[in-house]
Amino acid sequence: MGGNPIQFDWTLVATIISFLLLVWLLKAKAWGPLMKVMEERRTHIESMLSQAENERLQAEQIKREYQEEMRKARQEAQEVIAKATKVSEQRAAEILAESHEEAEKIKKSALVDIERERDRAISEVKAQVADLSVLVAEKIIRQKLDLKGQGDLIEQFIQEVGEMQ
Amino acid sequence: MADETVLWHLGNMTFHARTLINTWLVMAAILIFCLIGVRNLTSGKPGKMQNVMEWIVDFVKTLVSDNMNYEQGRPLLGYLLTLIMFVFFSNMVSVIPNLTFGLFENFHIDFAHLNEIFARQEYFSAAPTSDINVTMALALLTIILVVSLGIKTKGAHYFHHFVEPNPVFAIIHLIDLLAKPLTLAFRLFGNIFAGEILVKVIWMLPGISVLPGVLPQVVWLAFSIFIGAIQAYVFTVLTTAYISQAVTPSEH
Repeated sequence: MGGNPIQFDWTLVATIISFLLLVWLLKAKAWGPLMKVMEERRTHIESMLSQAENERLQAEQIKREYQEEMRKARQEAQEVIAKATKVSEQRAAEILAESHEEAEKIKKSALVDIERERDRAISEVKAQVADLSVLVAEKIIRQKLDLKGQGDLIEQFIQEVGEMQ
Repeated sequence: MADETVLWHLGNMTFHARTLINTWLVMAAILIFCLIGVRNLTSGKPGKMQNVMEWIVDFVKTLVSDNMNYEQGRPLLGYLLTLIMFVFFSNMVSVIPNLTFGLFENFHIDFAHLNEIFARQEYFSAAPTSDINVTMALALLTIILVVSLGIKTKGAHYFHHFVEPNPVFAIIHLIDLLAKPLTLAFRLFGNIFAGEILVKVIWMLPGISVLPGVLPQVVWLAFSIFIGAIQAYVFTVLTTAYISQAVTPSEH
């Protein structure tokens, strides 16, 4: 080997210029577009991820709403059943009470009727008894009632009719 | 072996011809690789090449976000990606055999000393990173970035850290600032240059022609690929770390 391997000269300057030129060229032609594409992919993936996340959240929301609705519906059904049961019980009680009342009324009116009928019957009997008494009296008078005892009998009879009132 | 460095002259400026040719070849290769990679860009299902490119971008992204606030580091991604690609591809050049088969010698193309650059005796191409000019150029860019981003994010306050915790420490901070590009440049240069030297040394193993060196050479070239990848990673990580030091607000 001859000469000193460490010799500085204008090669250094030429290299600097060449290298800066290469840097500029590659930046413009290679690294720039390449990094742009990589960035695009990154944002694309990012947006896809966030979209997926959004969809997951939405699905969860829908699921929650659905469950809530299910719960509400079940509760409502329960309420409806409970209400219906209550109403029917009430109704049954009402009907029972009404029928009791009705029966009472019917009984009362029946009693009243009976009373009236009896009164009527009694008054009729009384009238008839009076008529009969008159008739009997007439007959007795006509046939010249001779037996005193018979008169007592009639008296007693009238007495008994009077007591029936 | 072409021991003399082939020089191009422009006025009284000199350029290392082989280094520059290989640098541009490497840049062309990176451009072709990347343009194939981004040919059918899609944000849907990426193709094979796009996958590779995205892997590289993700790799550097992780590296940046591990070291500093990602939002602060984002404008740097393009630079760091180009840096790691360039250093890695450059390092790989030293394991590519010289496939010109003396073509330029046979046709006597004297233009820009091409026949000297691709001399038949060179079994392997020279990596641009085995020239201190290239590694120093990258290291200088790093340190320029460090200082300018430091000033941009912190303003004049950036210089405040030179006198922390005591003005006496300014000298140490200054040495630190100078050492950063030097270590960056010499580490990369040393690794790759030594690798190339060893390639040549292994061919010199005694025996019939180059035959004794074939097996060790295979092992060494495999290891060189590993070293090349590691050095590309180290250079980028250190650049990121230095920049993050400069732009991250101090705790005090």
